[in-house]
Amino acid sequence: MRSFSEYNPIAVTLWFFSVTGIAMFCNYPLLMAMSLAGAVAFFLMGNGLSHGREHIFFWILFAVLALANPLISHNGKTVLFVMNHNPVTLEAALYGVNSAAMMVGVLYWLRSFTQIMTSEKLLYITGALSPKLSLVLSMAMRFVPMFGRQSARVSDAQKAMGLFSDDNIIDDIKGKSRVFSVMVTWALENGIITADSMEARGFGTHRRTQLRRFRFRAADTAFLIASLVLFGITAAAVGTDSLSFSFYPSISFEAPDALGTAGLIAYGLLILLPFAAETAVNLRWKYLRSAV
Amino acid sequence: MLLIRNKNLRNTVRFTVPFVIIPALTILGALVFDGKKHIIISLAVALLALLLFAAGFEKKSTGTRRMVIVAVMTALCFAGRFIPFLKPVAALTIITALYLGGEAGFLVGALSAVLSNFYFGQGPWTAFQMLAWGLIGLFAGMLSKPLLKSRVLLLVYGAAAGLGYSFFMDIWTVLWYNEGFSVKLYAAALVSAIPYTVSYAVSNVLFLFLLAKPFGEKLSRIKTKYGV
Repeated sequence: MRSFSEYNPIAVTLWFFSVTGIAMFCNYPLLMAMSLAGAVAFFLMGNGLSHGREHIFFWILFAVLALANPLISHNGKTVLFVMNHNPVTLEAALYGVNSAAMMVGVLYWLRSFTQIMTSEKLLYITGALSPKLSLVLSMAMRFVPMFGRQSARVSDAQKAMGLFSDDNIIDDIKGKSRVFSVMVTWALENGIITADSMEARGFGTHRRTQLRRFRFRAADTAFLIASLVLFGITAAAVGTDSLSFSFYPSISFEAPDALGTAGLIAYGLLILLPFAAETAVNLRWKYLRSAV
Repeated sequence: MLLIRNKNLRNTVRFTVPFVIIPALTILGALVFDGKKHIIISLAVALLALLLFAAGFEKKSTGTRRMVIVAVMTALCFAGRFIPFLKPVAALTIITALYLGGEAGFLVGALSAVLSNFYFGQGPWTAFQMLAWGLIGLFAGMLSKPLLKSRVLLLVYGAAAGLGYSFFMDIWTVLWYNEGFSVKLYAAALVSAIPYTVSYAVSNVLFLFLLAKPFGEKLSRIKTKYGV
């Protein structure tokens, strides 16, 4: 029994991609509401009541996105009022709220995903696909801040030697380009040295090993299969247009058929999976503690 | 795990992936799926770029060194995207391709798009950016002999790559907006994108003019010194 963030990264990633993928490709209002509610609840489950500023940012963004559409788009039949000779319509307003729910929901999901997926787990996943790609990505990610630090050092050294001053523009540009040139040479050479020492330590002779062991346990397999099946049902419902909803020119939709209903239920269950895992862990803890 | 050891297979993959499969997938995906489903194509293109990567970098002693140089150039492109208005990504991709070959160029272009979009916003356009920058690198690698000989030709290629990139990305803009291709909208998109087009072409020419020689010296020095 582990909490959700301790599940195998592959299973967790697939689950996140399923949830956000459906939310991004579909504009069915009920699905969007489920995604947004699930995303907020998931974020709260992971963080408690902290991160107030992020919540404020997300909801301001929600308001801006929701209000932007009726002011820009004038499609739709039902005119609410006229502003600056432009009609503001009910349909455009609802469309704005729907898109805002979609985007803010996806942003909440991605925020939680970034918190759970540490770089170690990310490299575990890309490393399973292609060790070399994982290496290039992780090295490139590391090089960016490293270049920053090194170029500050080089530029300090050049200044100390009196090679350029900041107040003369031409001198400044010349000095900056010299620093850049030094940096590139250094980066390439440093890269080669890194590569050599990696080879000397046996890089590429075996599979990449991890600092932490991520095993595939029975719970992971069950979680993976459950999320794939639920995702499949939802994707089928979305893909076959069983869940269709159009805002323009006027709001029209049909009651979802059997497949559509199944898709809605499946998406709800998909979102609830990690909550179930988490609740099971908490209950287990509670009973273990009371037994002691 | 994904290393391809069979030489024929590797060469086939090397040729068909960039020229046949990726363009076909992008166009097909854009036509078949409606406007919002490009992220599926983005994933497919990313996976194919990965396949090309596996095909190009076979397991030999210099493999790691070349890979690290690709990582360095990708990181430089990434850092370069923070410069306002002028974007050196295409120029750096071209330079890499000239000295390290077309696949290295393709990889630098494609991986820069993925990696930098973690900051600049990942989205369905990532696939198109990957493809556009990747192909700029690949073609530069194929034309490396004449381009290395004549500097004027290199600058012309840079300008053409800037225009081509903008035209290519506008195809995507139209597909996204309209869920189908329309010549009228495409023309409108091209006109509205003129400032960007000019900025791409100008930054390519400028950065190639400034960087091609010093970078070339550095890369060929590394090549002779370490035998990459």
